[in-house]
Amino acid sequence: MNWPQLLVTVLTLGSIFGVVTLSLNLQYARGGMINFGIVAYFAVGAYTYAIFTQPPPQGLDQYKFGFGWPWWAAVIVAGLAALVFAAVTGWPTLRLRGEYLALTTFAFAEVFHSVLLNERRIGNGTVGLARVERPFGDWGPIEEKYVFAGAAALLLVATLVVFRRLLVSPYGRALDAIRDDETAAMAAGKPAQQMRRQVFLISAVPVGFAGAVYAMFTTLAQPSLFTAEVTFIVWIALVLGGERSVYGVVLGTLGLVFFEEIVRAWPFETVRSAQIAAAVEHVVTGLVFIAVLRYQPFQAAATRLRASR
Amino acid sequence: MTLPGGANALNGVLLEARHISKRFSGLQAVGGANGLSFSVDRGAFVGLIGPNGAGKSTTFDLMSGVQTSDTGSVLFNGHDITRSSTDTIAEKGIGRTFQTPRAFESLTVLQNVVAGATSPGESLRWAFGRSWRSHETATVEAAEAILRRVGLHERAAARVGDLSGGELRMLEVARQLVRDPTVLLLDEPTAGVHPGLQERLAQLLQDLHRDGVTLVVVEHNLHFLLALADHVLVLADGELLAQGPPADIRADPVVIAAYLGDGDVA
Repeated sequence: MNWPQLLVTVLTLGSIFGVVTLSLNLQYARGGMINFGIVAYFAVGAYTYAIFTQPPPQGLDQYKFGFGWPWWAAVIVAGLAALVFAAVTGWPTLRLRGEYLALTTFAFAEVFHSVLLNERRIGNGTVGLARVERPFGDWGPIEEKYVFAGAAALLLVATLVVFRRLLVSPYGRALDAIRDDETAAMAAGKPAQQMRRQVFLISAVPVGFAGAVYAMFTTLAQPSLFTAEVTFIVWIALVLGGERSVYGVVLGTLGLVFFEEIVRAWPFETVRSAQIAAAVEHVVTGLVFIAVLRYQPFQAAATRLRASR
Repeated sequence: MTLPGGANALNGVLLEARHISKRFSGLQAVGGANGLSFSVDRGAFVGLIGPNGAGKSTTFDLMSGVQTSDTGSVLFNGHDITRSSTDTIAEKGIGRTFQTPRAFESLTVLQNVVAGATSPGESLRWAFGRSWRSHETATVEAAEAILRRVGLHERAAARVGDLSGGELRMLEVARQLVRDPTVLLLDEPTAGVHPGLQERLAQLLQDLHRDGVTLVVVEHNLHFLLALADHVLVLADGELLAQGPPADIRADPVVIAAYLGDGDVA
């Protein structure tokens, strides 16, 4: 097995999905919002990046929009597009709570996925957009894959730093208060609705960036990359890492991606054994998920840590 | 109708309910045919009493924006706050506690009180910077002083899950005091509070009253309340049954017949 390649892939994908999980953590663990449609914001970032960087259509191109912008400008637009999408979807949904919000966001994401599948002029339907710019290239002696992994890790660290800064401020404490008891928090002057909406919007921006980086990495923006499976993977990573710790969230995501990639990269001798391994991977992920929910090892560790302080 | 203040009452009215009412699932919780009307003067200490189900807590909900009145209006400082949100009303200076104590479980006792204050760092604009830190130090000091005042200073680092029911009530009071409210609506503040803390609470309420804080207190412990309040409202079935100074309420045969019983107000 090519371990360096595996580790680079884990770092790249782990960082990209880590950003999504961190955003989910902000929404759920601190904002008290269950978003089962996070993949849609990820897809918005990816498609926006693809559309803004791809060249204008020529000849046999099916798509109608391509702007040929530089990669950095398209990444910024991807974050803004996710923000706008969050504003549009958050407006009617954020009055809902708990499972109602979960179902509504899930429905939104499924509708969006269906639009991606069927709409041809912008996203090119099921084929998707395949002329995505991969901007970095080799940096001197450093190969592109390492540059890429570094860029993804940088996005993860930047997201971590920004979110952490927000959460250790009185803003984070007010969010905790709202999550614990919204009525009591409002009686203490906390504008619960407004803050919840802000969190929803803020957390969408890095997801849009992550979507853009994912599109760069895969050089593709295609509906099959943005199914509900992505939502569930980041939710599992969130639970694995322990929802109360931003570092745990990152470790959970890296661990889950590592597990998936090692199964994918294992040199199976037959196609049949690779298929079995892929199925077993899902079973094992499910069992670990159930075990973490049942025994809550990370929560117990956090409690012990708090008690020892 | 206006509570203490005599001829200057209109100038002194701080909080006023005009024909407010609330129905839940067809049942009238507050307000009869004409709704519930009363007013509270600036600086008054008003007791709000009545049997269970009289609508006392719902009245607090209507005045603090937790529920919206079906009819009429609630005025604070002459401004209509009937449809204002709870946080807006809190920011205007109306603080309240709840019949069942509420606390922020993930925070310590001290953090609960600090969270009660409004900090510049709660604004997204300032949260990413550092300028809120100096304000935070002052807020923490104020919160610690208030915890000493309510007798919870030794529990400052405790999780709220470790507090007794009475301590939780004192914590709620502390969380409102840090906001320096103009009006404080206290819902059964002595319920579950042990006698030592009750004495401290009585002293605290007297101090607040002396400092000019307007107090409206729902309480079943009438010995406690009637010794402190300077005016009492009696609710029954969501309507105002009687009002007046504590001595008059004690002697009011309608109140005695409807609610108190002859032994309760001795």
